[in-house]
Amino acid sequence: MLNFGKGITDLIKKVLTRSSIDREAIEEIVKGLQRILLQADVDVKLVYDLSNTIRKRCIQEKISTGLTIREHVMKVVYEEITNLLGKEKTELLGKKRIMMVGLFGSGKTTTTAKLAKFFQKQGLKPAMIACDYHRPAAPQQLQQLGDKLHVPVHINDDRNPYNAVKEGLGKFEKYDVVIVDTAGRNALDNELAEELKELYKIFQPSETLLVIPADLGRTVGKQAEEFHKLVGITGVIVTKTDGTAKGGGALSSCSITKAKVKFIGTGEKIEDLESYDPVRFVSRLLGMGDLQALIEKVKDAEFKEEDAEKLLSGKFTLKDFYDQLVGMEKMGPLSGVMEMIPGLGHNVPENLMQLQETKMKKFKYIIDSMTHEEKENPEIIHASRIKRIAKGSGTSDKDVRDLLKQFEQSKKLIKKIGGMGGLKRGQLAKLAKKFGLKI
Amino acid sequence: MFDFLKKKISNVVSSVTKMVTKEDKSKPKKEKKETEVKEKKTTVKEVAERIFKKVTERQITEDDVNNIFNQVEMNLLEADVAVSVIDKFKEDLKNNLLGKDTKRTQVKEVIENSFRNSLLEILTTPEIDLEKIIQKKRSEDKPTLFIFLGFNGSGKTTSLAKFAKWLIDKKYSVVFAAGDSFRAASIEQLEEHANKLRVKVIKHQYGADPAAVVFDAVKHAESHNINVVLADTAGRTHVNKNLMDQLEKVCRVNKSDLKILVLDSLTGNDIINQCEMYDKAVGVDALILTKVDVVERGGSILSAAYVLKKPILFLGIGQEYENFEKYNPDKIAENLL
Repeated sequence: MLNFGKGITDLIKKVLTRSSIDREAIEEIVKGLQRILLQADVDVKLVYDLSNTIRKRCIQEKISTGLTIREHVMKVVYEEITNLLGKEKTELLGKKRIMMVGLFGSGKTTTTAKLAKFFQKQGLKPAMIACDYHRPAAPQQLQQLGDKLHVPVHINDDRNPYNAVKEGLGKFEKYDVVIVDTAGRNALDNELAEELKELYKIFQPSETLLVIPADLGRTVGKQAEEFHKLVGITGVIVTKTDGTAKGGGALSSCSITKAKVKFIGTGEKIEDLESYDPVRFVSRLLGMGDLQALIEKVKDAEFKEEDAEKLLSGKFTLKDFYDQLVGMEKMGPLSGVMEMIPGLGHNVPENLMQLQETKMKKFKYIIDSMTHEEKENPEIIHASRIKRIAKGSGTSDKDVRDLLKQFEQSKKLIKKIGGMGGLKRGQLAKLAKKFGLKI
Repeated sequence: MFDFLKKKISNVVSSVTKMVTKEDKSKPKKEKKETEVKEKKTTVKEVAERIFKKVTERQITEDDVNNIFNQVEMNLLEADVAVSVIDKFKEDLKNNLLGKDTKRTQVKEVIENSFRNSLLEILTTPEIDLEKIIQKKRSEDKPTLFIFLGFNGSGKTTSLAKFAKWLIDKKYSVVFAAGDSFRAASIEQLEEHANKLRVKVIKHQYGADPAAVVFDAVKHAESHNINVVLADTAGRTHVNKNLMDQLEKVCRVNKSDLKILVLDSLTGNDIINQCEMYDKAVGVDALILTKVDVVERGGSILSAAYVLKKPILFLGIGQEYENFEKYNPDKIAENLL
């Protein structure tokens, strides 16, 4: 994802630093955009359609008052790309029968479990049926994931996928969501095609979700088309977006099947599944920052109201600092979090990020080695206490001093912006507004 | 296999020929180029006629070459060929055409030859004699260790099993190391293959240190006189530094003989990142490309071969153990032209 976004932002920046925007400049943007999209594995015909529309709109449309030319071009590119990826936010809720299909190695089984977890979080009762009896140990994989989540899994002992579905449907009658994991294979393979069609008939799913890895090349269009013919794709899940892959191939196939992206797999942990939101997804794709995701993730990391109040009042102890560290950790790797902050996204060097992450861990150990009193009143920590804490946490005196320094700085910073209220009124909110995001 | 890429290459050759043999009355119009992609099919016939009509000599200028690059680029991009590889095609084409007197009748031939040579150069990677490596280690009374690496879902475990079958057919003894202790049921998956192939699996618990698992497998091979240890590892993204460090440790501690990167040939442009970053983090010695039976574009194979210039051992071409083919650059190049 990273490179895709960087490309478009850089391109527009480059062209728009020129003194005037004329036909030639727009041509340059369009050419550059084509190249970027093609490199991102987007289908060729789509790229041409898209670039033609952008060119036309940039030249013909009147710039709405209040917008600079630069903003206008940004808006057009943004809107057209949203058109391509799907405009509407999609939600999957309520009682459902879901069938998962896709190529081998796309991440169907893992995503099946991630989906179960997603529905569990919505307060629904999910169950899973294993229908992949081709890949060795696929049913066991689903079983092990199910055990972790306490979600029941049905496996047919004779390795018969049809019976697995029939039995599973009876067994899970009282469950809200039943998800079927099918065997991954080439959609042009006749044997698989028949099996899928038969499974579809027996199961009669309300959703057939196509799982597509973000790094897949343009082959995906053809595969998506075939799967669509066989079982009627109603939605797409893009997996493996945590690498450097740009995901264009996956997205262009959505346009072929007219199905929309429903979820994004963002990591190897079972909770690494995000519900697709075009505004969010495109703003990240274009390197515009992703505020909504950041805020939702903060919420997810169980930011307590009490904490917010403390922040507002400026009373901030090492304990709060510790909670923040834990919260940050829950939000996933720091690089992912940074990527979502507008304007910061692509500028943080990789090694700095790694350094910060190790530092954060160290800080946690240090605070763990403190007494309750020390955490509440950090000012009592002096030389001998520092020595003891360093020994207890397996760090050095310098590390402990670094922590105290960082803590003091955080405290000052929080006072300065006046807690979360300030943050809302501040620059971030302005930026968010610009891209139509709500905080 | 490769049907799409083949089509694209012949497209490039014919449209480039067309451009070169065309009378350039004025500067070519920009708008025209955009639509040419669609028009191509109808005009190829005309080109052929034109070539027949005007049999004179013509020097190809740099301007001509730049004009045709757009064609080359778009066609190859469409076939999933990465940009750095396309640049190589363009450079070669330029060198072969620029400032040379080319008979109109020979233009097609010159262009075709340029493409064939570029293709062969890209596809020809250094060769490795696997059996020689194993025999050398055997003469030292030591097992050979091959470690399989790659992105999630690229086909490491399946390739490892196919590789084992290939070794067993050649009468080498094999043991598996279950180095993927992360993904659910990965050990069971390896065990199913092992049962079918009658190979022993050395494993620990889930969550165990993969370096230790591989270490134990090597020790087991040493004490049981087993020739080859094939170590599976967990799939990981090349941007996760901690996981890449862990992989580096597995290879370093156990002194692997070959670190084999398993790549999904259906990957798009990202295959370049995967190759480069894996090579930088752990060092890649050889490649296996999987799912080649599904490939119609095949650009990823060119990209992988060109970027890493490392030996490509096998191509995975199906679900069965036998669907594992020795890599042969001439055969692929022949298929494409």
